[in-house]
Amino acid sequence: MEDVIVRYVSRFILPFVQLYGLYVVLHGHLSPGGGFSGGAVIGASMILYALSFNLAAGSKKLSHDVSSILESSGALIFAGMGLLSILLGGNFLANRAAGIPLGTPGNLFSSGSIAIITFGVGIKVASTMITLFYSLIEEEGHSHDHH
Amino acid sequence: MNLSQHLPALIVVVPLFFAFVMPLLARWRKQWCVPVTLGAIIFSFVAAVKMAFQVMNTGPFSYYMGDWPPPWGIELGIDYLAAFAALTITGVGLLIIWYGSKDLLHELKAEVIGWYYTLYLLLIASMVGIVITNDIFNMFVFLEICAIAACGIISIKESRDCIEAAFKYLVLSVLGSGAFLLAVAMLYMVTGHLNFTFMAEALPEAMALYPNNLLVALALLIVGLGVKAALFPLHVWLPDAHSSAPSPSSAVLSALVIKVYAVAMIRLLYLVFPRELLGMAPVMEIILWMSSLAIIIGSMFAIVQDDIKKMLAYSSIAQIGYVFLGVGLMSESALVGGILHIFNHALMKSMLFLAAGAFIYGTGVRKLSELKGIGHTMPIPAIAFCIGAFSMVGIPITSGFISKWYLALGSLDVGRPFFMGVILISSLLNGFYYLPIVVNAFFGEPEKAVAKPKPLPKQMLVPLTILSFGVIFFGVFPSLILGIVYRAAQLLLGL
Repeated sequence: MEDVIVRYVSRFILPFVQLYGLYVVLHGHLSPGGGFSGGAVIGASMILYALSFNLAAGSKKLSHDVSSILESSGALIFAGMGLLSILLGGNFLANRAAGIPLGTPGNLFSSGSIAIITFGVGIKVASTMITLFYSLIEEEGHSHDHH
Repeated sequence: MNLSQHLPALIVVVPLFFAFVMPLLARWRKQWCVPVTLGAIIFSFVAAVKMAFQVMNTGPFSYYMGDWPPPWGIELGIDYLAAFAALTITGVGLLIIWYGSKDLLHELKAEVIGWYYTLYLLLIASMVGIVITNDIFNMFVFLEICAIAACGIISIKESRDCIEAAFKYLVLSVLGSGAFLLAVAMLYMVTGHLNFTFMAEALPEAMALYPNNLLVALALLIVGLGVKAALFPLHVWLPDAHSSAPSPSSAVLSALVIKVYAVAMIRLLYLVFPRELLGMAPVMEIILWMSSLAIIIGSMFAIVQDDIKKMLAYSSIAQIGYVFLGVGLMSESALVGGILHIFNHALMKSMLFLAAGAFIYGTGVRKLSELKGIGHTMPIPAIAFCIGAFSMVGIPITSGFISKWYLALGSLDVGRPFFMGVILISSLLNGFYYLPIVVNAFFGEPEKAVAKPKPLPKQMLVPLTILSFGVIFFGVFPSLILGIVYRAAQLLLGL
């Protein structure tokens, strides 16, 4: 799709979309939204970029490989925080009970492992949306023999 | 930090963790995929063995996720049934993927094999999660993971049959999940709890106020889990899904996945719902008749099949009927038989599917009529198949005999010899379609591809040998596993 208006408009709104997505992810423990909704906004922004420019430009910014790696690491952050609680002497996914500092309620850096888990979920959701998009798009280019 | 007290969480988390490591390994360290998968499942198996010993020595125990006690937090409850089922899942699951590490190489494209291990680990983690969780919403989440992973390991073969079968399975399975979720909502609405223990305490009072609501919830649960467990009239997805999938997938789906839903149903019916509610509607009676029909009709369908895996798939429909027959009879012996059959059928059906997979690997032949003389050219899988067939029929010294024996005793205990007749007829029917294969295999003359099979690698022979040894071993010494099954049945019946 080679449309000047779409390109310019998306170039204009993309930074705001991504910033908003990042805001929702990072404030997941403070405000409505969180890892899933914020991650979906970030993922949608990348899809918008790839749609309004083209797939090659989108892959240059964030390749299929990188998005799969991010996808795994998002989930691993979640599981890793749970295992960290066990290492610190609490039960799986324990937060204050495992001695993780909670900080002052209302601050950006507070709520212990919740903030980090939300961040991990954000990465996971954003990269999953992008990976799904790439998988669907790339499928059309390939010829499949199973028909 | 004492690792052993965290085993209930780690048994689920370790396979889940490595499931997400697997895509990274598949990209850079392909040769590590198999050892890491095996390592994660071995860890779970060791954890399950340790928990089984702990539960036998000191009684049921529970684990609070995130140190939040119930009713606020999620509780994992390790009772006899959970420890038994976790042991079955991880033990049989380990043998199947060990076999699969070679078999998958010829069934799947090279670039998706890493994903297969991801899906397999997710499947194992979610199945263990379903059986050990004590929280109904947590169970729903694991049900969803299990459904998607199970569809994934079918459709990964990317043949037309597989994708069609997986799609059918996906639609019906999601329908089942939807029914389950609706039931969870209805139960939560009237009890205000998601934890099984608290729900069970609140239900008698709620029953007096909202009996219809609870009956609908019960119906939804039975239909939802029944679809997933392939209980007779709801079984339509099973034959295609189990026969078209790669052999290790067929084995794990038939041996473990459908049983997990049976375990979930046992837990809900016996431990959560009050007995009076089960008296208000003939729930157990319905389950009994559905399972009897499953036993007879599943066997009859199996007789007319010519595809070896399709025949085994129809036989699974009959065998899941035995488990539910034990559930429906409401007597101690029958429940022991039903629960024991979960384990026995897991052993023998995985062995039969793996043996069938070995025949297909060696010769490429799937038709029963063309497998004549396979016993001469592929002796080990043929002997394994033979032992599995005997166990299916219920010939003594095989483990299938023990569970049928307890089911028959149970049906006599409650004064309903009719169901013993069902078991007998079905054993005859089983003999009718299993024994000709065995006879053909050993007394026929090998022809064409059967005469010169590809040699089987060790990774495929050893799991088959262990499984066939297990079928005989637990047929001769059933007491090893019966101890935990008896206690599970007594706890469920409140004896």
